[in-house]
Amino acid sequence: MSTDLSHFKNAFFEESQEHLTTIEEGLLQLEQRPGDIDLLNRIFRGAHSIKGNSGMFGFTAVSQFTHKMESVLDQLRSSQMVVTVEITDLLLQSLDCLKTLIDCAKTGESPDEAQIARLGAQLEACQGGTPAATPSTPAATPRHAQLQGAHHFTITWVPPRYLFQRGLDPVQFIKELGDLGSVTSVILDTSRLPALTDLDPEQCYLGWTIEVDTVKDLKVIEAVFDFVREDSTLTIVDTPPPVEESHSTSDGTKPLGEILVETGVVSQSQLNQALSQQKRVGEILVEQKIATPEQISEALKKQTESSAPSKKAETPSIRVDTVKIDRLINLVGELVITQSMLSDLGSRFEMSQLPVLLERVAQLERNTREIQERVMGIRMVPIGNAFSRFPRLVRDLSGKAGKKIHLILSGEETELDKTVIESIGDPLTHLVRNSADHGLEPPDERVAAGKPEQGTIRLNAFHEGGNICITVEDDGRGLNRDKILAKGIKQGLIAETDKLSDEQIWMLIFKPGFSTAEKVTDVSGRGVGMDVVKRNIEGLGGTVSIKTSAGKGTTFTLKLPLTLAIIEGMTVRVGKDTYIVPLLSILESIQPRREMIKTLVGKGELVNVRGTYLPLMRLYDVFRLEPELSDPTKAILLILETEGERVAVMVDEILGQQQVVIKSMEQNFRKIEGVAGATILGDGTVGFILDVRGLLTIARQGKAKAA
Amino acid sequence: MASQESTSKESNQQIGTTTDGSQFLTFQLGEELYGVDILRVQEIKGYTAVTRIPNTPSHIKGVLNLRGTIVPIVELRTKFGMPTIEYTMFTVIVVVVVKEKIMGLVVDAVSDVLDIDKKDIQPAPQFGAQVDVSFLNGIGKAGDKLVALLDMDRLLTDGDLQETEKIAA
Repeated sequence: MSTDLSHFKNAFFEESQEHLTTIEEGLLQLEQRPGDIDLLNRIFRGAHSIKGNSGMFGFTAVSQFTHKMESVLDQLRSSQMVVTVEITDLLLQSLDCLKTLIDCAKTGESPDEAQIARLGAQLEACQGGTPAATPSTPAATPRHAQLQGAHHFTITWVPPRYLFQRGLDPVQFIKELGDLGSVTSVILDTSRLPALTDLDPEQCYLGWTIEVDTVKDLKVIEAVFDFVREDSTLTIVDTPPPVEESHSTSDGTKPLGEILVETGVVSQSQLNQALSQQKRVGEILVEQKIATPEQISEALKKQTESSAPSKKAETPSIRVDTVKIDRLINLVGELVITQSMLSDLGSRFEMSQLPVLLERVAQLERNTREIQERVMGIRMVPIGNAFSRFPRLVRDLSGKAGKKIHLILSGEETELDKTVIESIGDPLTHLVRNSADHGLEPPDERVAAGKPEQGTIRLNAFHEGGNICITVEDDGRGLNRDKILAKGIKQGLIAETDKLSDEQIWMLIFKPGFSTAEKVTDVSGRGVGMDVVKRNIEGLGGTVSIKTSAGKGTTFTLKLPLTLAIIEGMTVRVGKDTYIVPLLSILESIQPRREMIKTLVGKGELVNVRGTYLPLMRLYDVFRLEPELSDPTKAILLILETEGERVAVMVDEILGQQQVVIKSMEQNFRKIEGVAGATILGDGTVGFILDVRGLLTIARQGKAKAA
Repeated sequence: MASQESTSKESNQQIGTTTDGSQFLTFQLGEELYGVDILRVQEIKGYTAVTRIPNTPSHIKGVLNLRGTIVPIVELRTKFGMPTIEYTMFTVIVVVVVKEKIMGLVVDAVSDVLDIDKKDIQPAPQFGAQVDVSFLNGIGKAGDKLVALLDMDRLLTDGDLQETEKIAA
């Protein structure tokens, strides 16, 4: 049970992350299109889901905070407030706070209470602050308007016995009702409780009678019980509230109209008349031709949907386009057909049918290869997920740096392995920050240089060969060759006499501790970052390159492999065994002449490759195999390089080059020294992928043992 | 064999401790009959060539591609210190699941699935140093047959992961 729960919790965190992204994107777009009700609904739904889910898992801090955000959003949605820069800023800050809260819930750390309290207070303070839509009817405060059509529900609920086994907590239901309105009374019904001896603690024997005052209608209340509706005994009766209740709000403050009557400004009849003229927000919008009736009813539908608890199942780790799955299913269908054709052929085979057989086998091969590709494709997700954080980042950066920055994203649909996408986020952030802070000039400088005041940063992703390229491009001042050179000399990275090509000079900015920014800002310039970018990208098997032209801009290009699960490998043979050497680590392969081999203290062998002596490692020695060839001059030496260290590895023969899918050895066995993983070869047998680093370690240990 | 049987009959006091399953898949190694809790068995497949793993003890035969999963194969004869024999058409690999890991055991032949009552299971006898029976859960009687019941957890975790790690160190 406990493992189950943690599984759901993970799903919650994952889902929350998605909702946070949705909310953030939405808020940023909202600045451009403040009246977009669809957008607001989307944001609201995201917040609502986080609130509901966090409540279910008992992260009360999260749900309470989200509730405050939600209230503000709700008022924006119902046009009781207008979207201003201040509100967007506040919401964005709150969103950051919410992120930290969720992270804290994940790690179990305690969040920054002061910040939460401050933002919470601000959120509450801004509510109802600027009634936007109905300035002409001062008597109608938002609260009052809400109370029009208030309900008083009496709910009698006997949950199903299995309630606890489903992981549901009746208290959550009552709390949720509390979120929809105010719960005025809860009466526990214990009549079904059996004697203690017959009691099964995993069963729920209780029932409740709950009274709720709310402005929501019956459907919304019913939706609370959606999860358990089928097996529950549930009656919900709407008893209209007493008249005087409609004039006092839940927190005890009097509505404006009542105060006006009390102070004698207006009479009760005048107030009633004013109230009768008061219309629903939707009607007003339609009248003012801001929205069509269809749009309003659509929005209302969404409102009902969004306030109902999400029925959606917990999200899996990877979301796969249904189109991909459909194609896969089609292919499997074809595979089945080919298979049945083959078995049909096999059952009554004659030699004359050989060409048919070969054709079918070829078809089978095509099918399987395509299925393999498609299945690998499932791991591929659009890079847009990694790009989505940048609009916010650029918005913040432009505010801080006092620059106007326009961000253009393209190629978001380009697909990349999920693991790669997760690891490029940070390097990309560094590059974008760098472009915003160093690359783009302040507006006055831009105008002086005859460029538009607003700088542009362009993020693009596209396929090129077997790689994916991501470019970060700005139209700023470009890299300053002399400044970088001077700085490089000053920091002792290069000598004054060094003759460097432009590319070599640009590469200096990737050196640890290098920064040409005259003043260190909050954003960048501390000289950390660019070296990390390079290291991360190289860690993924990729490269970084720079193109720049003075006064026109700079482009960083990241080149990355499509996936980490497949590597390009060279298959080699030692005796009867086949091994795969990662192509990236192979520098060259040679067949040495006798005089190139030297020995040290009679044992340690060295091979002279164009003047450099490299240790010679016989793979059969390291792995205790029976080789076909033990004479290096007849065998093949592969010159391998890892982390700057080189070694010559001796094998019998090179078989060829192919892409291999990496399989885990640890899944069913354990790590093997010198082996990075396994793969399945063309003939269905297993081949091992060499771990060059590990080989060197074994060789050293072997030497130590011998000594 | 004969001595083993008589010894076990003399010490007929306790009942096998950790085996709850009463159905066993039995297989042969030479003349002897061994049993594995049927719930541990994932499948039985004919012997196919395996890929040797470098620097592993001799009873680890190698790895096999089992529908895309890499599965280590243990040669039970070597593991038990019995002489190796030529593989025949009866040689099979019994694929078992031990602590969520999948492994294959090479055995001479599979024979039967037997129901063995708890009362017919007695603890494994002790022979001292020369015969290692620590990997046995007990011995079961099925008619006139004697079945040595294997303790999979001890057999395949003690023997493979830890022992080989000692060698590597």
